[in-house]
Amino acid sequence: MEEQDNRTERIDIEANQSSEPRLSYKVEVTDKDGRVVQSEEGPSHSYVRQWNEILHLQAAAIYIGGGGTVKMTNGSIESNAYYSVRSFDSNAGIGVDRSGLRVGKDSTPVSINDYTLGSPIAEGIGIDQLEHQLTYFTSPAVAGSTLSFTMQRSFVNHSGATISGIQEIGNYIEFTGSMTGKVALGFRDVLGSSFSIPDGGAITVTYTLKVIA
Amino acid sequence: MKKQLWYKAIVRDRNGKVLSRENRRSRSILGNWYRILYAHMALTSISLIHTSGIDRGVIYFGDNWKFKADANEDSIGIVIGTGIAAVSIDDYKLDSQVMQGTGSGQMRHLASIPDWPSVAGSNCDFLTSRTFLNNSGGSITVRESGIYCRVKGPTYYGYACIVRDVLVTPQAVPDGGSITIDYTLRITA
Repeated sequence: MEEQDNRTERIDIEANQSSEPRLSYKVEVTDKDGRVVQSEEGPSHSYVRQWNEILHLQAAAIYIGGGGTVKMTNGSIESNAYYSVRSFDSNAGIGVDRSGLRVGKDSTPVSINDYTLGSPIAEGIGIDQLEHQLTYFTSPAVAGSTLSFTMQRSFVNHSGATISGIQEIGNYIEFTGSMTGKVALGFRDVLGSSFSIPDGGAITVTYTLKVIA
Repeated sequence: MKKQLWYKAIVRDRNGKVLSRENRRSRSILGNWYRILYAHMALTSISLIHTSGIDRGVIYFGDNWKFKADANEDSIGIVIGTGIAAVSIDDYKLDSQVMQGTGSGQMRHLASIPDWPSVAGSNCDFLTSRTFLNNSGGSITVRESGIYCRVKGPTYYGYACIVRDVLVTPQAVPDGGSITIDYTLRITA
């Protein structure tokens, strides 16, 4: 049976018709004049366990006191996690570094148990800090048998010096809460190269979420 | 990295003997899954055709994605059908759903509660399963399966088809027998 499954999957991939949901990223650094000085794009590695755990809260309609457990980005366990209007909220506003897309300096390979970036950059204009901009989404669009949408966020360096060693990106998603939710890591990637952001420059992270029928 | 959906169909006779089995990668998660995801991630609303065939949209809301199903419910949870239309990204319902009941062409829908996700090695699996009993008095051949979930538009509640698969091998369920459909969403880091 497994051999049959693998054969089917190979045929799909060779025909570029794999129905696997795909997550990919693009990272671009611009200088203070807007010139692109460094970029990278590739497939994401990867969603982490909290993604499925929060989906389960929704799918099973886990209510308050229902035993839902999700590890948050601060390392603590939310043991009263429940389905919520805020689940998967990634629409972080300007200056907000508790949720939404984040960048960091750690290069530890992604694990299914990751719950935070290894060394996230904080909001600000101090040393090694970045100004977190608004999150932008494109609406889902269908092209042929594919549906995709993107989310994008820029981080501006007004620290007075180059910030180097950016090696990880990820998304902090909210869950459990009607106004301001708890926050968990949804996906994380370690970049293929180390990125440096000149003073006055910016780094922009774009994720594309795609599914092919 | 992989995020994959797998399905398993198991047919048993009235004595519980396994008659046939199919275990394959799902094709596919539908566009509606990602429309709901988008509404939640971006805190917005978007057009979405409900299983009723009417575009009532989706807005971020607590009940969205719920596919826990009670016994006898055929509007939510894992569902099955006899249709063979090829899967399209914009499918909004099964091609020809087998409805709840004991009449001709109907099956009894048992309750379905999604399991807690489990981590093993670098995988995190999220399994949901449902069994359908054939007490119709005749054989029923199941050719498609899917998942219907709760969804709320800006004004109306409804249901959305978020997964649909056409089985590679039609599964004949004898009278008195059953079919169990498992869906597993696997994330691999």
